[in-house]
Amino acid sequence: MSTITITNLRKIYGPIAAVDDFTLEIPGASVFGLLGPNGAGKTTTFKCLLGLARPTSGAILYDGQPLVPGTLERIAYVPERSVLYDWMTVAEHIEMNRRAYTRFSPARALELLTTFRIDPRRRVRVLSKGMKTAVMIAIAFARNADILILDEPTSGLDPVNQRHVLSLMINEAAKGNSVIFSSHQIGQVERAAEQIAVMDSGRLVLQGLVDDLKGDRKIVEGVFPDVQFALDGISNDPHVARVDRTERIVRLLVTADADAIAARLSAAGAMGVRTVDLNLEDIFLYAVSPATATTDIVIKETSS
Amino acid sequence: MPAVLTVDPRSGVPIYLQIIEQIKRSIALGVLQSGEQLPTVKQLAIDLTVNPNTVARAYRELEREDVIETAPGRGSFVRSNGVTESPKVAAEIAGDALDLALREAKSVGLERGDVRRLFEDALARWFGQQ
Repeated sequence: MSTITITNLRKIYGPIAAVDDFTLEIPGASVFGLLGPNGAGKTTTFKCLLGLARPTSGAILYDGQPLVPGTLERIAYVPERSVLYDWMTVAEHIEMNRRAYTRFSPARALELLTTFRIDPRRRVRVLSKGMKTAVMIAIAFARNADILILDEPTSGLDPVNQRHVLSLMINEAAKGNSVIFSSHQIGQVERAAEQIAVMDSGRLVLQGLVDDLKGDRKIVEGVFPDVQFALDGISNDPHVARVDRTERIVRLLVTADADAIAARLSAAGAMGVRTVDLNLEDIFLYAVSPATATTDIVIKETSS
Repeated sequence: MPAVLTVDPRSGVPIYLQIIEQIKRSIALGVLQSGEQLPTVKQLAIDLTVNPNTVARAYRELEREDVIETAPGRGSFVRSNGVTESPKVAAEIAGDALDLALREAKSVGLERGDVRRLFEDALARWFGQQ
């Protein structure tokens, strides 16, 4: 059980804040998904977690303790791009990891390579992108680490092997270990992650349990009989995150209390009021899409 | 445990609610019998490829509703009253579906009389004329 606490993390590269005032607690014994558009700061956050990048400011604690060399023995990392040596065979990489990490299990690595159908005698040079990913996954999961940090762990893998990787992650969580992963394949995060955080431009823009986010965040939509209607102050409701209006149709993104807000639309005379569930992709897109012109429309009380 | 338990992670319905709904349905249909053992949290998590804490949340909720019981070290079981309760569970499932339909009907502006006529027609279609 390893809780990771990130407090006010900031990493500045030249004029760019890759990570900006990022505060997050990642619980142990679970799968945690880090989402964000390209360049959001996910990889930089991972590098700070691993001590590969020195934070400009802020703190990272593992079970309340700062990162020390001994902690790294407990963390396995799969970077987004291959860090394998082209001129070495897969088996030689396994041997190298056996020497480097006391808890590394070569037998487990070979077993996982069999699952991924990779012959350990092959040289890395001849492997495809997906096969290199699979080799790094096999090595990481043979480390017997307490914490696995996986940056796009399924990139280049076929659907069967993608599912293998998700199963491995679930298995680690079931054993009490922590898995933190990033992926642009939101369907995978939606399936395997218990909690997520969404980053955008280095900042945390959304976090929570996937199931709670889905349970709370809804679109409430109503159609008014006339373009003139009274719906005063709806955009000030703390649970209304966004208001879109197209003539007679009002569409609200609500973060809680969808039923009460739907009732408010009905009371204001809207017909066809409906509440639409959102999947994680919808929730993600709303979290990272900048406010559009329609977002700022304030529906003023109208006297017809 | 029936292999029919599946989740659709792409749905907007939280995964733990999908698990709860399907276990209740299995009990209502008699696919899961009184006293029958459920898979462990870990096993079901691996089978469905979903987070173990998500399965644990579904089980906790089912315990709270007295649908299942968990004996420490032995696992989770359908409660002995689960079978006698099955008509209740069936009514609950149908009630939820009806609720949704009525809400839709109301929101598109139908009146009580319209809805009653629609309901009578549907009743005749599925259950025959009285």
